[in-house]
Parts: sequence; structure tokens; C-alpha cells
Amino acid sequence: MHMTLPYPARIALLILAAIIGGYVFTSAAMIFFSAILPMSRTGVLVMTALLSFVVYCAAIIWVFAVRDVGRAWLGLLLPSIPMLVIGIWLTETV
Amino acid sequence: MEKVLEQGNFRQSMSWLHTWGGLVAGWVLFCIFLTGAIGVFDDDITHWMNPEQKQTAVVDPASLTQSERAAMVEMGQRYLQEVMPEGHFWAIGLPSEDHPVIRLFWQDMQENPGAQLLDPLKGEPLPAEQNRQTEGGHHFVHMHFELHAGQAGIWLVGFFTMIMLVALVSGIIIHRRIFKDFFTLRFSKGQRSWLDAHNVSSVITLPFQLMIAYTGLAVFVAVYMPAAMYVNYQNPEDFFSELFEEPPHQAETGIKAEVVSLTNILLQGEQLLGRPASFVTVEHPGDSSARARVFGLFDPDEAFGKLVSQGSGRAMFNATNGQLMHHRMPGQVIDNPAYSAQQIMRRLHFANYGGYTVRWLYFLLGLAGAVMIASGSILFMVKRRQKSLNEFGRQTARVYRGIEALNIAAITGLAIACIGFFWINRLLPLDVDIRAVREIQLFFLLWFGTFLHAVLRPALSAWREQLLLFASLCLLLPILNWITTGDQLISYIVNSDWRAAGVELAALLLGLLALYSVRHLRQRQARQQADCPTRATIQAQRGIS
Repeated sequence: MHMTLPYPARIALLILAAIIGGYVFTSAAMIFFSAILPMSRTGVLVMTALLSFVVYCAAIIWVFAVRDVGRAWLGLLLPSIPMLVIGIWLTETV
Repeated sequence: MEKVLEQGNFRQSMSWLHTWGGLVAGWVLFCIFLTGAIGVFDDDITHWMNPEQKQTAVVDPASLTQSERAAMVEMGQRYLQEVMPEGHFWAIGLPSEDHPVIRLFWQDMQENPGAQLLDPLKGEPLPAEQNRQTEGGHHFVHMHFELHAGQAGIWLVGFFTMIMLVALVSGIIIHRRIFKDFFTLRFSKGQRSWLDAHNVSSVITLPFQLMIAYTGLAVFVAVYMPAAMYVNYQNPEDFFSELFEEPPHQAETGIKAEVVSLTNILLQGEQLLGRPASFVTVEHPGDSSARARVFGLFDPDEAFGKLVSQGSGRAMFNATNGQLMHHRMPGQVIDNPAYSAQQIMRRLHFANYGGYTVRWLYFLLGLAGAVMIASGSILFMVKRRQKSLNEFGRQTARVYRGIEALNIAAITGLAIACIGFFWINRLLPLDVDIRAVREIQLFFLLWFGTFLHAVLRPALSAWREQLLLFASLCLLLPILNWITTGDQLISYIVNSDWRAAGVELAALLLGLLALYSVRHLRQRQARQQADCPTRATIQAQRGIS
């Protein structure tokens, strides 16, 4: 994928993967872990939200370690989907 | 650049991230750090910025009786009832040491804010000559967390703080010799000195910088990271009422209902909490869903040295019939470890847990953070002034010039605007309409002026001239104060008003520091020209073009 795009477009997509892809991944992880951890509901929500900045920061660093637009976007969005689906499903059913 | 980002090794890509992320975020982050460091002393600056209030105080806030407070709440309610019988919010602040008057705040149905100060004995609006309408030190706090841009500003500050966190982590990764560089600071060595200054200011204060960035994000955690909350709750208000163990939030009903006398509510609340109240508020006044809250007076001695906030107590009433709905006693802690962790981060960030020792420590470390950011931004340009890296093809020279101008305006320009705000406070007439807003507008105007100056003047001259202007504004501040209000630094010290004296002493110190930098800058330029005329000429041309 990155071979066909001009360099500035690849950089822009990489930066967007870090900012938007990273935020989606962080939110999905937050929803998933707040659904499965055995704590009070308000407690687990505050805790996962407080820790989410670590996850977001790590996701951004990871994007620039990979430096490949396709792998960065897939690597963030693919795990986000099951985390979102399972997280929301568990929250709604409990 | 292409090679560096996609074909280099891990450390090279982290270096790319650190350089460009740091450059783009540096201008805003410097502003956040400088105004945050100044904002540590917000109450003291407000004290300096409102000299009339102290002189014309008619009550002693520390020795008010309960019936006096009740009378003041009644006067406040009467005024609010007249100005805005139906709205979103009312607040009545009782006289405090910093504000020995009745303070009223309100929001209309559209949540537009309003405010008024009342004479605590007569209940009438305070005349202009007794009250210098000013945001005071809170101006710097607002710049720090929302850039005077409301919710959008909070998001912007969060965005740049996140970049700061990434820049800190990538900075640690690229820094191979982190302990060795701890002890390395080479003066007067051009680019090497800027790198050393950047390394030393970063490495020594790294724990503080990580803490302050992270806790800053944690303060607004519910704003920045709300996804899981929205999956669990239809309405964020429900989350907060469950978290605070309070009755659920009630939306406006649209049924009109008058607010009962707040005097009885105050008396009941104070009785229940066992201490004087500081604030009485009403949510949705004029509506049948109206709720009144009585907040207990904050006791700094009680909170001193404690990171888990003890709370000053609060009581919630139905404001249409005066019935108690819920209360939390002073010192009662919510039993929720995660929430306690958030509260600890909040208190760590707010720097008010350890008196002036902690405030000065945060002020100095905050300034060190500003130096870390500024030296990084300057280093970016110093490197490229000597040898262009051609990142932007034929536009490179023009982009460099733009970056240089932004550096100047963001660093010395903001410093001028900040000390200029103290001058504006003294020079703007007292009877100007919406005076507090005008002060802030003039602050931004002054800042914009420094940007124009940075664009129009050659880079090195612009740096020197702005530093000189900053130094003069700092050093002449006590004289300006003397001429405009008659207050002198000496008399502040003699009367041991250390809060006002501190403001002027700090300004004098920073002014001397700026003068020293100007001298240093001039000497270095002269030496370079003498040593190596050709290189200096090339550099000067680069700086100009």
C-alpha cells in the first residue's frame, strides 16, 4: 500500500493512524476491560480511563515504530473490533 | 527525511517523532507551561491586581457571625431574583480573605455567564472605583487549561499534552547517555550548549514533567476519555451521581416554581456540617427541579500535607420546599480507590497541598519545563541556521523563517504579553465597560504585536529587542505600581504584605535574568564576528533571509 502513495500522503496517513486509530484502539480497550474486570462499575470506569493515557501513548509510539501505513491502521483497528463487540455486548447483557 | 522515517532504525524514527512532534506542539506547550507556572500564584496575583478591594473592605471575613452571613445570602438572593428569576444556575459567594465582598455568579438558560460583586453591608453593586474588575491571576490559569477558548480549548490543551507525553517517552528512548548528560552543561558552545541546556533541563526535571503532563490529563479524564462511560450510562450525569453517591440528576421540568428563602437553607446546612459556609448555589432556579447546595468553608490547615482530599462538606436541598436531600460531612471520603487515585492526581497537579514551599517548587519546576520546551524549539532552528536540511524542498528557507518567527513570538512574545498583563491591569481605567474582558483582549493584542515584530525584524534582532522589552517591563513594574496606585514595594515589605511584594520581587528577578541574557547574546555575537567574520556573515544572512 505505501509504495503506491506519495511520501507526504503516507506521512499524513501515519499521523492520522497514530491520532485517530490510536484513540479508537484506546477507547475499545477501555470498553472491553471495564466490562470484564471484577470491580464496582464506577471504580472500573475511573480506573480504565486513568490508565487509558498509557495505552494511547504506547499506541502512538507503536505506530511510529512500525512506520507502515497499512500495518499501522490494521494493527490498531483489527483488535479494536472484537474488543468493542464483546465489551459492548457484555455491558448491555449484565 | 524519507530515509529517516521509513528506512531508519527504531531510534531514528523515535528521533523523527521527537523532533517534529516537539516542534509542532512546542509553541502551545510553552504557553501551557509558562502560564501554568505563573498560575501557581493565581490568588497572590489577584491580590496584587485588586489593590482597592483591600483598602475599601468593610467587613472582616474571618469574624463574620452566622446571622451576618444569613443577611448576606438574603441580599444576594434578592439581587439574583431581580436579575434572573429563571435560569440555569445561581451562586452566592460569602466574603473570604481574598474577596471581602459578596460575589454573585449566574448562568441564563443558554448557560451564558454573568457576575456581580455586592457591598457586604448594603447589598448594593460595588462602585467601579472600589473594585478593579479583573480576572487577576485566574487569567493565567484559564490560559493554562483552556487558552480562553472554552471546551474547544480544553480539548486543544489535552491534545498537545498527549503530544508532550509522547515527546517525553520518545525523548527518553533516543537519549542514550541519559546519566552522563545529567552532568554535562557546556556554556558558550553554540549548538552544543543549546543541546546541553535542553538535556539538563529535561533530565533533571523529568519525573516532574511526566507527573505534571499525566496528572493534567487525569484532571479532565471524563472529558478526554468518555467512551466506556457512554457505553455504561445514557447520561453522564447519572455516572457522576452514582460516583458521588448523590441522588440522581434531575432534568428541568418546565414547571415554574419559586426558590424558597436561601437563608433557612444556609442555616440548616451550616448546622448540619458544623462549620461556616463558603458558597450557596441553586441549580435550575425558577423551575420545579431546582436544587440548592451549601458548601462548607475550605480549611487550608486541615488539607495541608494531605493528598487524598478530605472535602469541606456539602449539603443538598430541594430548593422549592427547603427539604434536605443529601449531605456529605467534612472529611468524609468517598469509598472508591480509583476515584481517590484520580483525586490524588488532581491535587498533585493543583499544587495546593503544601503551602508556599510546594508552590515555589512547582513554579521553578514549571519554568524548567518551559526552558526544556523553549530550548528544544531554539535547538531545532540553531541546527538548521548552520546547515539547512532541506526538508521542504525549495520552500525550506521560507518555512525556516516562519518557524523562527513563531519561536520568537511564542517564547519572548508570550513572556512580554504576560508581564504586559500586569501593566494593562494598572493602566486600563476603572470605569471601562466589561473591563475584565478588555484586559484579556489587550493581552492577546499585545501578544499578536510581538508576532508582527518577529516577522518584520531580522531574527537575532527580534530576539534581542523582545528580551529587552520584557526586561524593562519587569524592572519598571514596581515604579508603575507606585505611580498608578501609590503602593510601593518598600511599603509592601514594611507592612509584611509578602503576597504583593512577592509579585514585584519575582518580576525584578526575571527582569535581571532577561537583561543578563541580552548581554550574553550580544557578547557572543560580537565574539563570533571577531573570530570568524565570514561564517558570522553567512549566519547573519541566514537569520535575515
